[in-house]
Amino acid sequence: MSTYTGSSGGQVFTGRVIERPRYVCALGGAIGTIQSLPRAISILHSSSGCGGNLAGALSGASGYNGGNYCGGHALPSSNVSERDIVFGGEGRLSEQIENTLKVMDGDLYIVVTGCMVEMIGDDVHAVAKRFKGGELPVVAAETVSFKGNSYYGYDIVLETLFKDYVERAPVQDPSTVNLWGIVPMQDVFWKGNLEALKKLLDKLGFRVNTFFGQGETLDNLKHSARSSLNIVVSDCYGIAPARQFEKIHGVPFITVPLPIGDHGTARFLRQVGGALGVASEVIEALIAEEQAVYYSYLERLADVYNDLDFQRYATVVGDANYAQALTRFLADDIGWLPELVIITDVLNGEQEAKVIASFGDYESGLQPEIVYETDASAIEGHINRHWPAPGEGKYGNGFTPGYIVGSAMDRDTAERLKVPLLPVTYPISNRVVLHRAYAGYAGGLTLAEDLLSLVVAHR
Amino acid sequence: MDYIRHKVPPVREDRLAACGAYGGTCCELSEDAKKGCLYTAKRSFSQTQGCQLNLSLAMISTLRDAVMVIHSPIGCGGNLIQNAGIGKVFQQLRQKSAAGLRWINTNLSEFDVISGGEAKLRQAVLKAEREFQPEAILVFNSCVPALIGDDVDGILDQLQSQVNARIVPIHCEGFKTKIQATAYDSVYHGLIRNLVGLDADKKPQPERTAEEEAAYRERIAKTINLLNVGSMSRLDEEELVRLLRALGLHVRILPSYAHPDDFSHAHEAALNVSICATHDDYFAEHLERLYGIPYVLRTIPIGIANTNKWLRDIAAFFGIEEEAERLIAAETAELNEALAPFRAQFKGKTAFIAGGEVRILTTGELLHDLGMEILGLRGYHFDKYGALLLDEYLEDVPGSEDRVFNVGAGQVFEQANLLSKIKPDLFVGHIGVNGTAAKQGYPIFPLFGQSNVYFGYKGAYEVGSRVSRILRNHSFNRNLERHTRLPYRDSWYEQDPFTYIDNPGATAVRSN
Repeated sequence: MSTYTGSSGGQVFTGRVIERPRYVCALGGAIGTIQSLPRAISILHSSSGCGGNLAGALSGASGYNGGNYCGGHALPSSNVSERDIVFGGEGRLSEQIENTLKVMDGDLYIVVTGCMVEMIGDDVHAVAKRFKGGELPVVAAETVSFKGNSYYGYDIVLETLFKDYVERAPVQDPSTVNLWGIVPMQDVFWKGNLEALKKLLDKLGFRVNTFFGQGETLDNLKHSARSSLNIVVSDCYGIAPARQFEKIHGVPFITVPLPIGDHGTARFLRQVGGALGVASEVIEALIAEEQAVYYSYLERLADVYNDLDFQRYATVVGDANYAQALTRFLADDIGWLPELVIITDVLNGEQEAKVIASFGDYESGLQPEIVYETDASAIEGHINRHWPAPGEGKYGNGFTPGYIVGSAMDRDTAERLKVPLLPVTYPISNRVVLHRAYAGYAGGLTLAEDLLSLVVAHR
Repeated sequence: MDYIRHKVPPVREDRLAACGAYGGTCCELSEDAKKGCLYTAKRSFSQTQGCQLNLSLAMISTLRDAVMVIHSPIGCGGNLIQNAGIGKVFQQLRQKSAAGLRWINTNLSEFDVISGGEAKLRQAVLKAEREFQPEAILVFNSCVPALIGDDVDGILDQLQSQVNARIVPIHCEGFKTKIQATAYDSVYHGLIRNLVGLDADKKPQPERTAEEEAAYRERIAKTINLLNVGSMSRLDEEELVRLLRALGLHVRILPSYAHPDDFSHAHEAALNVSICATHDDYFAEHLERLYGIPYVLRTIPIGIANTNKWLRDIAAFFGIEEEAERLIAAETAELNEALAPFRAQFKGKTAFIAGGEVRILTTGELLHDLGMEILGLRGYHFDKYGALLLDEYLEDVPGSEDRVFNVGAGQVFEQANLLSKIKPDLFVGHIGVNGTAAKQGYPIFPLFGQSNVYFGYKGAYEVGSRVSRILRNHSFNRNLERHTRLPYRDSWYEQDPFTYIDNPGATAVRSN
């Protein structure tokens, strides 16, 4: 089996064939990232089908996200074909950029590439440079799809922006921070989640740039080197760009797991607040205030949770960000038994170690089994192995009462096992998602509502 | 036409001189198309479209009891991710026990680009066999393996002896054509070479007495292959089957949502009946050449006029014209009465239609028949089959000569510009181009859907009924128009919509 370390240094891209993958290629990740920036326009330098091939993965599979301002069929694309493959596509790209600037109304133009132009050796940076100094910024990112998946594309776009778009800042503002690591589209609830975390840090007295969240502007991004800390809400995604940011702009970074509910979010606030030098009394006061609200809602369930025995065994299926966040919430916040966690990402050794560590230290004492599995059809086997189905005899338990927190891809498994499925991780094609969020305290309440509503759905 | 001996079919630019970029009037397009040089047209600014890989998947990933292997980097076939759930629902409308959509991506990495992707292709096919034991494994080749020179056919030939599933290679590399519809040829090519008529190899033919054999022959003499398309619904199939059965015919439905075994018997039919020449000419012509089965390919049964034409073509073949006329008379009388309220409501309303050449021209005729004025058409591409239908359209829909006809797959910047000038009362569009028209505030009727009936007489009624409903309240889209904007400069709307089309074969653009 081959293993390839991506040029960003972060993402490892191993060579396994994948049955029903839960991500697309670097180009897809890049398009999803760019279309989530305000008034940014992707210019695809690729075969004519790449954008169309990815459109469904970026919309219908992501809670019907749509194309935002410029996505889907609106994406400018050089549409190189056989002739360009033979003679080179740089001339076509140059023409495409020139005309894109005339037709498309944006504030930032980012050239992204598909496999074919990489294979024919087009120098997209050289072509983009011809537009340097013009009225409108044009930058280029090589999002070569055989080098990595959606997450790699996200990293490459951020690295490009930090290198070629973010302006150098002579001094840092101690009350401003940047926050990323939540990947638009791959986190179907990305926009709501970014907003939730921004609000939390706002309560600690910080101004937060999330680049992609509600109310963000390209100016915030351009001046993001004025921030005093980069907070990467992930153990895997966005870390290579954070290293690059530190190297170029001298802003340090921390990584912190995505928080859902009380236990996750309290840890988040302590870690981030600590890194920012916030007095622990201030942090604890905020946690206490949030907890008071949080449990004033959860207490409504005191009767029904216990009358109807709401506790469930659970299998969590999803990416590295969500898997740990969901598991901690299920175990420590609502007292379930999420004993099996299936991580669907392809990670390198360093990432795996960090991810495993994020599953420790449960107040409930839970020690989940963690499995790396990329194939959708293999999930059922893992569940049956962890909770062996009862045999012929009268007694035996199996995965009962069971619950899967996963994605739309796990529907077959849930139907066969006759357990409820709440799709939280990508892909989600059977829910419409607008501003719903699962991060933070408020997100924990939303997740409790969604999870338990399925338990009472037949009543 | 006989390309079946070749491993790979030709692209549509070569085979049909298909055109992917045009702006002019219906009349000019009709004239220019006859000169046959529109395929050289291109754009100096373009937006993304689809490729033949993703249209191949849209068409045949519907196949039951099959696994798709996509030999590519991880992103190709990405649209399947959104279809995984609904694909199963649609398959189960045909077969309750259907397993739904399953696929494996070979996930080619940079390492494979250097050292070849053949080992992974082998892994993927064997995994498909081991995990699912399907009846067929469809292998879709993409740009990267084509460029690095993977011997896809050689490997699949070797693998065939190791697996029970029938392996179907589909050569649908995206970069080879800008005419997405080449996908249909690529898929049919693989199906004809590997599934059609192969039953005898695998299963012994049943022994029949002379009497049984005669009955069997008689049945075949009244059997048609109804060639469906991925964009039609189960309800559409039921409507067409209802009409064909009323004429005493037996119907086998291929290729979408079919079972691989259905293809084994595809050569046991009296007639191939297409509902879309864009989709089926490659299959129909090859089956005629290989098995002597004639075909009907002229039009799609959308609207009264074209449903009548479609039925008459079939009836003429079987010599049952009188039965057909009786059926048509009874159906149209009942339908016309039911359509009366829609004709009253639509009188004086205008429409603009975007999508595949066959569907837009016939939908145009239908809406015209319901009282609307058709202000313009946009086709994904245009070829000789469109040209034939366009000439019929010009006859059926008087006054269309000077109406605009724009050719382009997607290319919604041209559409946005056109709509800002034409301002129809109703926009009818293909999936992918409706959101942009919605942000311009138009009421929108989707050009196809898999939950409604659109074909035949029942379809004509349902189209009328849905359009009537949609026209009653389009506040959602009107709100979008007020509060969102499309990503184009204001100056773009002041320009000619066809500014970026370079079409040396057309008179229309030159005179603009």
